[in-house]
Amino acid sequence: MSASQLVIALPKGALYDETAERLRRAGIGVPADVGRMLKVTADDGRTQLLVLRSSDVPAYVEFGAADCGIVGKDTLWETDRSVSELADLGFGECRLVVAARRSDGYHEGARYPTFLRVATKFTRSAQAYFAERDVPCEIIALHGSVELAPIAGIADAIVDLVATGNTLKAHDMVVVDEIARSTARFVVNPVRFRAKYEALTALLDRLTGA
Amino acid sequence: MRLPSGVRDWLPQEFAFKRDVEERIRDVFRSWSYSEVLTPTFESYEALEQGLGEGLMQQTFRFTDPQGQSLALRTEMTTPVARVVSARLRHATLPLRLCYLAPAFRYEEPQLGRMREFTQAGAELIGASGTTADAESLFMAVETLDAVGLSDARFDVNDAAIVDGVLASVGLRGRQAEECKAYIAERNVVRLREFGAHQAVNRELFEILVRLTMSRGREDVLRLARPICATERSLTALDRLEEILRRADALGWGARINVDFALLRDLRYYTGFVFEGYLDDLGFSLCGGGRYDQLLPRFGYDVPAVGWMVGVERILLALERRRADERPRNEVDVLVSGSDVVAQRERSRGLRVRVDVRDLDRDALLEYARDKEIPRVIVATGDGVEELTLEEDA
Repeated sequence: MSASQLVIALPKGALYDETAERLRRAGIGVPADVGRMLKVTADDGRTQLLVLRSSDVPAYVEFGAADCGIVGKDTLWETDRSVSELADLGFGECRLVVAARRSDGYHEGARYPTFLRVATKFTRSAQAYFAERDVPCEIIALHGSVELAPIAGIADAIVDLVATGNTLKAHDMVVVDEIARSTARFVVNPVRFRAKYEALTALLDRLTGA
Repeated sequence: MRLPSGVRDWLPQEFAFKRDVEERIRDVFRSWSYSEVLTPTFESYEALEQGLGEGLMQQTFRFTDPQGQSLALRTEMTTPVARVVSARLRHATLPLRLCYLAPAFRYEEPQLGRMREFTQAGAELIGASGTTADAESLFMAVETLDAVGLSDARFDVNDAAIVDGVLASVGLRGRQAEECKAYIAERNVVRLREFGAHQAVNRELFEILVRLTMSRGREDVLRLARPICATERSLTALDRLEEILRRADALGWGARINVDFALLRDLRYYTGFVFEGYLDDLGFSLCGGGRYDQLLPRFGYDVPAVGWMVGVERILLALERRRADERPRNEVDVLVSGSDVVAQRERSRGLRVRVDVRDLDRDALLEYARDKEIPRVIVATGDGVEELTLEEDA
C-alpha cells in the first residue's frame, strides 16, 4: 500500500451519517448506505473504508489495520487504546451524565445511599467518577436500556449518554450531574501518522477546514 | 497442557528463522565492535526498580524467594547492563560498548507485537556524550534493520531538550510543563488545546507549540522550533540534530530519517537524543533508543550513556508478512547409513550429517533423501562405502 493511500475506520450507528457527510466534504466519496459491507472503497478508487462497530474503531487504529478513524470521545474514554487524538470534529455532541429517578431527589441534593448501585455501559468512566468523589459504589455493567435499571429496582442511579434528554424524561428520570461532554474525534495510529504524514495531515486539514 | 497467556513455543522451523535473524543482528553488533553480555533473568526488585518508569513497574513480574527477598524478572536489559557496568566494570576504560540479545518479561495484555516474554537485542555505548555517540546508536539501528532485510524501515529522531526549550518560552514550568509534555508525547492535540486554553501562556507561542506537535519533517521542523527555543540546552540540541541529519545524508539515508517534535520516549529514562524505527506497514515501532545520562548515576556511577534496542519478535512479524511463502529450509547435507566412521568424517568436514537409525534399504534411503531434500546419501556395507546418486528431478 502506498504512502498516499489511506485506510479510514468509520463508526456504524449514530455517528455514521455525519461522519460520511464530513468525509464527502473533505473530498472522499463515502456511500450513504454501506449495507452489510464492512470494507468498501471510496469513489476516489483508492481510499479504503472500514465500517465498524464504534467501540472497535480504536482497536483497528491502534493495530494499524486502519491508519485513522473517526470515533466518539465517549468510546475513547472506555478503551485503553493508544491512538493520537488530532482533532475535535465538533459533531455528535452528547453528555455523559449521572441520572436517577426524579422521586429520589438526588438532583436536589438528597444524599446517595451508603452503598450506591450504578448501572451503566460506561464502567470505566463511572468507576473513575465515583472514585474521585469517594462515593462507595457497585458498578453494574449493562449493554442496553440502562434507563430501565432504576425502575426495575436493580440500581439507584445510571451513568449514560444523553443527547436530547427525551429518554430520561420518558422514564421520569433527571440528570444529577454531568460527567463529561463527548464529540466526534479524528484519531490516528501514532506510527502511521509518521509513515503517511502528508496524506493524513492533508485529510485532517480538509476535515477541520483549516 | 496449556501455556500461560502471553508466552509461546518455538518449533524447529520458526526457531531456525528466529536464530537466523538473531545471528544477523549479532553480526552487525560485532561489526561495530560491541561485546555481548548477559545478566541474570531475575534479580532483586530493588536493582531493577532503578531504571523503571511507573508503567514498567506495574508490568513487572515480581516474586519472593523462600528467604523473603523480593525478586523480579527483568522487563528490559538497559537497567541490568547499567547495574553491571557500575558494579563490575567501573575500572574499565571508557567508553564501553556492550550489547545483549536476551529475553525480557512484561505483564501486559498479550496482543499483536506484544508478548509477556519477548526477545530484546540492543547495544549500549557508555561513557560518551557527543553527537558522534548518538549517531552511532542510530546508524547501528539502521544497519541492523537493513541486515535483517527491512531496508525500507524509517527512523524518526528528536531531542527531549527541544520540547523543554519550547515549553519554557511558552511559559510552562514544573508540573504544568510535565502535563503538557505527556499530551505532546501522546500527540493528543485535542487535550493539548484544551490545556492551553486554561493556562496563562503566550497564545501565539502556544499555537506554534501545537503546530510543532503535528509536525514531522526535516530541517523545516528544526527551523520552526528554533526561534522559540528559549534555553541554551535546546539550541544545542537543535544543532546536534541538524548534524545527525547531515551525517545521515552523507550515508545516503537522508530520505529515511525525519525529525518528529512529538517523539518523546519514556521520560524517566531518556535525557536527550531519542529515536524510533518503524515500517509503513506495521502499526507499531520496531526499535528505539536514545540518550539516558541519568541512569548510571542512579547506580552511583556518574557517566553518560546512549543506547538502543530492537524487538526480535517484531522483526519476525514484519518479515513473516513479506515472505509468507518461503519454502522450509533443508537441514541436512548428507545422509549416512551403516558407518560411524563415515558419519564422523563428514561431520568433521563441517557438514550437517543425519545418521540412518532405522536400517533402511537403498530405495528407502533414497526416498527419504528426496523427501527431506538431502543432496547426498552415503551407504556403508560389508562390501564397502558407496555414495548413491540421487536422480535429478524430472
